[in-house]
Amino acid sequence: MNKTQKGTLVSLVSALLCIAIAVFLLVEIVVLKHPPESFSEKFWLPIVVCVLGPILTIFYWKKQSPTEVESDERDDLIKKRAALVSFVSVWILLYAATVIPWFIVGLEGSIPVFLLPFINVGILLVVLLIYSVAVLVQYGRGGKDGKK
Amino acid sequence: MAKSKGSGERSRTVTNRIRRLRFENDEMTQQQLADAAGVTRQTIIAIEAGKYAPSLTLAFKIAQVFSTPIEGVFQYEAEP
Repeated sequence: MNKTQKGTLVSLVSALLCIAIAVFLLVEIVVLKHPPESFSEKFWLPIVVCVLGPILTIFYWKKQSPTEVESDERDDLIKKRAALVSFVSVWILLYAATVIPWFIVGLEGSIPVFLLPFINVGILLVVLLIYSVAVLVQYGRGGKDGKK
Repeated sequence: MAKSKGSGERSRTVTNRIRRLRFENDEMTQQQLADAAGVTRQTIIAIEAGKYAPSLTLAFKIAQVFSTPIEGVFQYEAEP
């Protein structure tokens, strides 16, 4: 696994983790109205970050060969295609984010302004997911890894 | 095989003899070839499998590693 693949896997795991944490906190605090009370409930998030952070960092920096190059022309091509896919997805998601509330609350309805930054961050995370998946899918099509 | 198709043109493929050349050169590993050509091992795997057609610069570098002319490594031929 080269540096680009590792970096993409790290961003994929981070984005999934962020989405999972956001959904969990939203359900816990807004829906169930159950604010954290015990030590583990209050500090599980920093604990997860402290455990996963070093693991992901070591995974990212460990080289497969001492003379391994950081990235090459194929990596650049793959990243360029993935960026194009995620750019298109930004527009689709922005369009969906403006049209879906329209269908939910109606033509005369309104949504709280504080939701807008959350929508933006949500779109950012989904775009990061799409970018990561697009990169990994392209590497998956590059032939059988591990062949000598 | 990396395929290319122009308008009204027959499908053509870029084939390569990298695997054979590696074994002829003291069973060179993909990692050794990748290090010598300045690319990642995944790129060598993709080129060998015909999933990726390298740039002209990289093709020359690979040929240089094997001390062979470029047409000794890569062939551009029409599909039967």
